[in-house]
Amino acid sequence: MSHHLFLLSPSDTPLYELTHFSSRPVQNVSSPLASNLPSWSTSAFAGTLTALSGASSANQQYNPQGGSARIGGGKDRHVIQMVANASLDVIEDVMRKENLMYLKSVDKFNEWTVSAFVTPGNMKFVLLHEARNDEGIKSFFMDVWELYVKTMLNPFHTAHTPIRSAIFDARVRASAKKYL
Amino acid sequence: MAYAQAQSQHPRFSVLSTASLGSIEHLSPAASATRFSLPSAPSINTALAGGKTGTRPNIYDRNLNKTRTTEVSASAFAFLFSEVVQYTQKRVSGIADLERRLNTLGYRVGTRVLELMVWRAEGTSKAPKREIRFLPALMSIHTQVWKSVFGKPADAIEKSVENSDEYMIIDNDPPITRHISVPRDMSQLSCSSFSAGIVEAVLDGLGFPARVTAHNTPNDQYPNRTTILIKLEQSVMDREEALKT
Repeated sequence: MSHHLFLLSPSDTPLYELTHFSSRPVQNVSSPLASNLPSWSTSAFAGTLTALSGASSANQQYNPQGGSARIGGGKDRHVIQMVANASLDVIEDVMRKENLMYLKSVDKFNEWTVSAFVTPGNMKFVLLHEARNDEGIKSFFMDVWELYVKTMLNPFHTAHTPIRSAIFDARVRASAKKYL
Repeated sequence: MAYAQAQSQHPRFSVLSTASLGSIEHLSPAASATRFSLPSAPSINTALAGGKTGTRPNIYDRNLNKTRTTEVSASAFAFLFSEVVQYTQKRVSGIADLERRLNTLGYRVGTRVLELMVWRAEGTSKAPKREIRFLPALMSIHTQVWKSVFGKPADAIEKSVENSDEYMIIDNDPPITRHISVPRDMSQLSCSSFSAGIVEAVLDGLGFPARVTAHNTPNDQYPNRTTILIKLEQSVMDREEALKT
């Protein structure tokens, strides 16, 4: 089971992203293979790939191994980014009406559920996950928020600076391990 | 933040301190100390030495509530702000430009004030909330933001009679301009443009884009009275209208 986290600036620039593979047992699996195989091609996600085959084959020509260092299989990377990006429309709709920061399960795409967290400064944290884990995800988002506040207090940080701090990365990973 | 400061100060001060070490051979230590007038130099050096032996401090280890109730010395801030104004004034071509730059500087402060202030208020709550309506947001600027930045709430909020998209926050004696006397030929200038920038950043962050300016509105009782004028964008008015029902 994997989680994908994206931090997006108010102008929707991605500042940080993380893929986390959870070792926890999956509660409602569509395909049991997905939990223990890091390779994406055999997971349930292959169905999505087929559906989006036009986009994926075009992208593979340009970038056959794109992002494979951080992700299990590079070729699905753009699909995940697309799902996250597509959910922004829904998030922006909901955040105008809801005064909660944590917007749980705002969007769904095939097996992915999208949860989001909107900070008062209009930063958006978008998390793609497969199983329901509302409390865990909320605690995770609260940790990320605290880390983000610390990052932005740095006078050299602007709203559009990608977050490259190794310590930030390590802290987010530790929190992901704890809650997701 | 602590680390960034240490790093940014390090090369500058180390150059100065090696220079002063070199001069000790020729001059008395007292003379070199007065020459460079850096009373804090030894403490910076010890801090750096401590940093080298131990682990480097990083901003993520710092507790965000540590400085929640601490206050900044008003004289130190007045001094810093006077430098900010002087620095800015040397690089602009007019009062409007100067106000715009002060506004930009305030904006950078405001984005951080907003995020930190809300984190401190909501960081431990079960269901953290954002402001989505304009009037509560304006009230929270009037009280919470003013309290966390200036240590006291602002004195009044007014709504413009002529234009429905204009609101005013009034401070009878803004702490940041208390020690500034504006020359007569620049009487248009309000250094509270810096506060206006803070307000603009907070409104922007909360999703109420607006143009915020500062104006001197002295009266007999309060010669420093300042009005922060908020002119909301049409999109905000439309949204408020839609949310009303």
